[in-house]
Amino acid sequence: MNNVRALVFTGYGLNCDNETAYALTLAGADAHRVHINTLIHGSVNLIDFQIMVFGGGFSWGDDHGAGVVQAVRMKTNLGDKILEFIDAGNLVIGICNGFQTLVNLGLLPGFDHDYTRRSVALTFNDCGNFRDDWVTLKVVPESPCIFTRGIDRLELPVRHGEGKFYADPTTIRRLIDDNQVVLRYAMPDGGPADLRFPFNPNGSVHDIAGICDPSGRVFGLMPHPEAFNHWTNHPDWTRIKEKKKRRQSEAESGCTVGIQLFKNATEYVSNRL
Amino acid sequence: MPYRLEIALKSELFDAEGNGIRQKAKNYFDIELVSVRCVYVVTIDADLSKDQLKTIQSEIFTNPVTQVSSLDPLDMEFDWTIWVGYRPGVRDNPGSTALEAVEDILGITFGPSQAIYTSKRYCLKGKGLTEEDMNKIAAELLANDIIQQWKIFPVDKWNPAEGTGIIIPRVILDHTPTVTTISVDSDSTLKKISDERGLALNSADIPFIRSYFLDARVQASRAAMDLSDPTDIELEYISQARSDHCNHNTFRGLFRYLDLETGETKVVDNLFKTCIETPTLTLKKKHPWVVSVLWDNAGVGRFDSNHYYVITGETHNSPSNMEAYGGAITGIVGVYRDPLGTGKGSKLVMGSYGYCVGPRDYNGPLKPRLHPRRLLDGVIEGVRDGGNKSGIPTTFGRVLFHPGYMGKCLVFVTAVGIMPAYINEEPSETKKTSPGELVIMCGGRVGKDGIHGVTASSESFSEHTPAGHVQIGDPYTQKKMHDFLLEARDQGLIRFITDNGGGGLSSSVGESARFSNGCEIQLEKVPLKYQGLDQWEIWVSESQERMTVAVNPKDLECFMELSGMHAVESTVIGRYTNTGKLHITYNGRTCAYIDMDFLTSGFPQWDFDAQWQAPERRGLFEPVLKKPGDYEALLKDLLSRPNICSREWISRQYDHEVQGTSVIKPLVGADRDVNSDAVVIRPVLDSKKGLVFSQALLPAYSAIDAYHMTSCTIDEAVRRLVAVGANIDRIGGVDNFCWPSIQFHPQDNPDGKFKAAQLVRSCRALRNICLSYEIPLLSGKDSMYVDGHLTGRYGETHKVSAPETLQFSATSVIDDIEKCITMDSKMSEDLVYILGTTRNELGGSEYYEHMGYVGLNVPHVFPEKFADLYRALGRAIYKERVASVHGIYRGGLGVHLAMTAMGGNLGMTVDLGLVPSDSFDRNDVILFSESAGRFIVTINPENRKIFEEIFKGLPCACVGTVTHEPDFIITGIDRRPLIKIPVQELKDAWKKPFGELI
Repeated sequence: MNNVRALVFTGYGLNCDNETAYALTLAGADAHRVHINTLIHGSVNLIDFQIMVFGGGFSWGDDHGAGVVQAVRMKTNLGDKILEFIDAGNLVIGICNGFQTLVNLGLLPGFDHDYTRRSVALTFNDCGNFRDDWVTLKVVPESPCIFTRGIDRLELPVRHGEGKFYADPTTIRRLIDDNQVVLRYAMPDGGPADLRFPFNPNGSVHDIAGICDPSGRVFGLMPHPEAFNHWTNHPDWTRIKEKKKRRQSEAESGCTVGIQLFKNATEYVSNRL
Repeated sequence: MPYRLEIALKSELFDAEGNGIRQKAKNYFDIELVSVRCVYVVTIDADLSKDQLKTIQSEIFTNPVTQVSSLDPLDMEFDWTIWVGYRPGVRDNPGSTALEAVEDILGITFGPSQAIYTSKRYCLKGKGLTEEDMNKIAAELLANDIIQQWKIFPVDKWNPAEGTGIIIPRVILDHTPTVTTISVDSDSTLKKISDERGLALNSADIPFIRSYFLDARVQASRAAMDLSDPTDIELEYISQARSDHCNHNTFRGLFRYLDLETGETKVVDNLFKTCIETPTLTLKKKHPWVVSVLWDNAGVGRFDSNHYYVITGETHNSPSNMEAYGGAITGIVGVYRDPLGTGKGSKLVMGSYGYCVGPRDYNGPLKPRLHPRRLLDGVIEGVRDGGNKSGIPTTFGRVLFHPGYMGKCLVFVTAVGIMPAYINEEPSETKKTSPGELVIMCGGRVGKDGIHGVTASSESFSEHTPAGHVQIGDPYTQKKMHDFLLEARDQGLIRFITDNGGGGLSSSVGESARFSNGCEIQLEKVPLKYQGLDQWEIWVSESQERMTVAVNPKDLECFMELSGMHAVESTVIGRYTNTGKLHITYNGRTCAYIDMDFLTSGFPQWDFDAQWQAPERRGLFEPVLKKPGDYEALLKDLLSRPNICSREWISRQYDHEVQGTSVIKPLVGADRDVNSDAVVIRPVLDSKKGLVFSQALLPAYSAIDAYHMTSCTIDEAVRRLVAVGANIDRIGGVDNFCWPSIQFHPQDNPDGKFKAAQLVRSCRALRNICLSYEIPLLSGKDSMYVDGHLTGRYGETHKVSAPETLQFSATSVIDDIEKCITMDSKMSEDLVYILGTTRNELGGSEYYEHMGYVGLNVPHVFPEKFADLYRALGRAIYKERVASVHGIYRGGLGVHLAMTAMGGNLGMTVDLGLVPSDSFDRNDVILFSESAGRFIVTINPENRKIFEEIFKGLPCACVGTVTHEPDFIITGIDRRPLIKIPVQELKDAWKKPFGELI
């Protein structure tokens, strides 16, 4: 399956590139960390890849709205190539700062096949602070998102100061109606968080944690799947292990749900190739 | 023509930042605000066309979904507006990223006189607000006058067309760089000039410096370079290198120690050598895992056969005390350059913090520059932005409140990196400079930052004078540099690397040139933030985010190309030589020419009188305290004490999981809200090995004896590691001393001799305990002079000295992370064990402090005995026979049993009569004594036999069970019920003090 090539952006203050590339490798992809400038200068070409990852970090320090300057640089220098990449049926995922970049580029929500319009935003958390905590997420089953196929509920860490999903009510309605809402913050039992802090950690409208474009191939989310690359990343792992030991059941094996998201992507691509 | 763009959230959106200010105004000053809205101001000092302005306004500065913006003042509702902007020369990070973005989107390049500045306007609404209220909010909440300026507008004085006016904080120095020659005709002349220029030359050094410059041979060689008496740049270089900060003169000093009790006298020549260097080198010989210690920017230990870990710890006290946010962010970002500059460079994988401040709710008469509450807020935010924006997990930290830190706060920052054992088949931990190699400065530019504020104060009345000595770290610039340098390292382009911290180029170039034995620097090549710096200022400026690198000329092209690709500025500023001279020129003219070996050539040693008075002699005794009755209230009150209670609000602001390496997090348990004993990361993602890290701080015991403060601090750090499953035979330490001044002065420091004795005793304990536990000191630093002078009620000033403080950081390696253990109880019916002996050691305890006493019986450490127990526990964890392990630390058994129960959200019954102890007569002693060497362990009842077998002959007893019923039940030694409280009630008490700060 190593013919699935994934590109993970680096440079300008991005910082989750190592673990994101590692997660993609676990998922069976041939992952490459690529500096934004090498792509702009043309020494690396987008057409050699099928998965493009806008990862987490603080691009340009996030000083003028998270992901804004990154989006400007991408749009100015790579705009058409990115659109061609999507048109060619490839996959795009934006995680945290990457999600913020995707919405500022307009790649999300991509209504009416318009991948340039900014119509949703990720703004300052209602709690007024950066927050690192694990959250429960419920997958909207009707969503066409490739990455979340077969997953119903998952836990991942959020780590952001600007993750409150916001749009006007019409846009929100449309996202819901078109099944473009992929992930919603939930209570530990899977029920809706209904804006309750800290289950909805940032005040996101409609508990939205992730959305996709109408095709399901462009996906953005605030939580970090790459940070759940090993079962010991989970905050309860010592508790889970002890409980399993008492029941004499096997210790954890197989991939985490964080890796599963990337696996869905690599499997989708390899089926197409 | 300058333009001012104002940006605000759309009115229907909640303004979280504004709301935070509203709450603080209420909580801190009891000023009732109805609402606060923030306006971001971007001032563009450049000629742009209308179209260009429109493009940047809509594409960069305004989010169409959430924001509105205008080139005229926004029409906001307010009763008062406060505008806050930086003073000239203060690092404006958003301003420089704005400039990058504008240049990129418009395809233009800003000229040297063009810039972008950011500032903020706060729109406040409320009834009956006065100008005095506004001044208070501006000066004590929104801005700090040493880095910021502000303007206050009542609504009736607001001109809607003009708004705040356009303020351009550009630095204009209008000064021709000048080298000044300084006369050395007498000691007194040089001393006078040293004082005037803030050189801080030590009096004892002055004759030695003079004799060098008066030496005929030296004079002849200088004359050939057109030099006579020393130049200012030369004396600055000497002063920096000889400072206590760089040279550790105190620790290398001579101590005449006298024990007033026994009459014992002892001369200790060089605490560093005898207590740190010698033991560490002895241990290094014994333990091959110790790779590189005591010479580089950080220490190096083996992680696995292919990787080394790199660690160091720093403090950034004085700057944080002046400007908490700037000081702390500069501190954390600065310490991250140490591992980056260790060996041929390491990747940063973890950071930690320690804050010691005055009481958060202080309302006494003393007036510190920043109220402890504000100081703590700023420090927390500085480390947050510095760590999070560097992409380095901040995994561990401590906060300690004590009135002694009102004089000067402590901000500890610790950094851990990882590097491959070999780079292109060369050992990664070695490096040297060779003649012919180029001296390259990478990263930020040089300004007046961090230069001892002398010149700043003489120019402080100009509106364009830079705020010199306080800086704001720039993690973004540094992150780019970090990524670039690691790539350059892997391509084999780096021969030598070190950071520019204290002393700037003076220290980084001066020290790196010792390897090749000389250098020639062309100072005019150093890129500046603004023109007009004197040569000596360029040389000693501490402008941040810079590294000095030695590159072979054949690699220059590759190096510069890679630097350009990463958008990092790198400049060749000279080359290394073997002439034996530090040779600096400016536009071809020599301005410094000094023998490389001068600084290592026998400067006089500092000396101190140290007089020890035993605690009894100082009038300390055990308080006459009869048994308490209401243990439930007592336990809850202890849990609510500021130094015990939950600080979840801090941990959650710090990204502790970036890099995807998190194994044991700072907060654990069923509700993920109780502090873990230590943290574990998996720094090499495809390895099962983990790096374990912990820290301890116990300055309260210094009130009795700094020897035991030190022993207990080290023991706690070790126990924390052991509790999560670390290998006790692989522990490395980092010592960070923060001490009040120890130089005796009859009026200014009358107890200096005692504080010096405390330092000697502390170092002895450091040596003894580290040798016993076999802990090499991988790195360490000292920060003396932790004293402040605070104004009191009547205008008098009080000297406030910090308690003698040691932060001890400890690391170890664990072979299989899947065997790590957390402190939370896991299952009901599990058995609760206590390991280790509880002694009557309440001296300096939290319990006594709560009652208003110090006491005498300070906890003692018995390292040989303890180590047997720790090894046994290590075996039990390795064999997976325990469900939870938690050390018993500050607050004692009662507090820490509660932690185990709160972690599991399960009840617990414990019989104090069963606790291994040498004093069975009092419940309060057993519950609150802080004896070292103890743990609480819970186990599956099925493991009882095997577990007890492991601890045969060691202090270990089953004292109770974990219960499903969520009550915390303690039975006294007389078998009578002592405590019965729902665990949730304990947790509420523990979370209450800072619970609303989230």
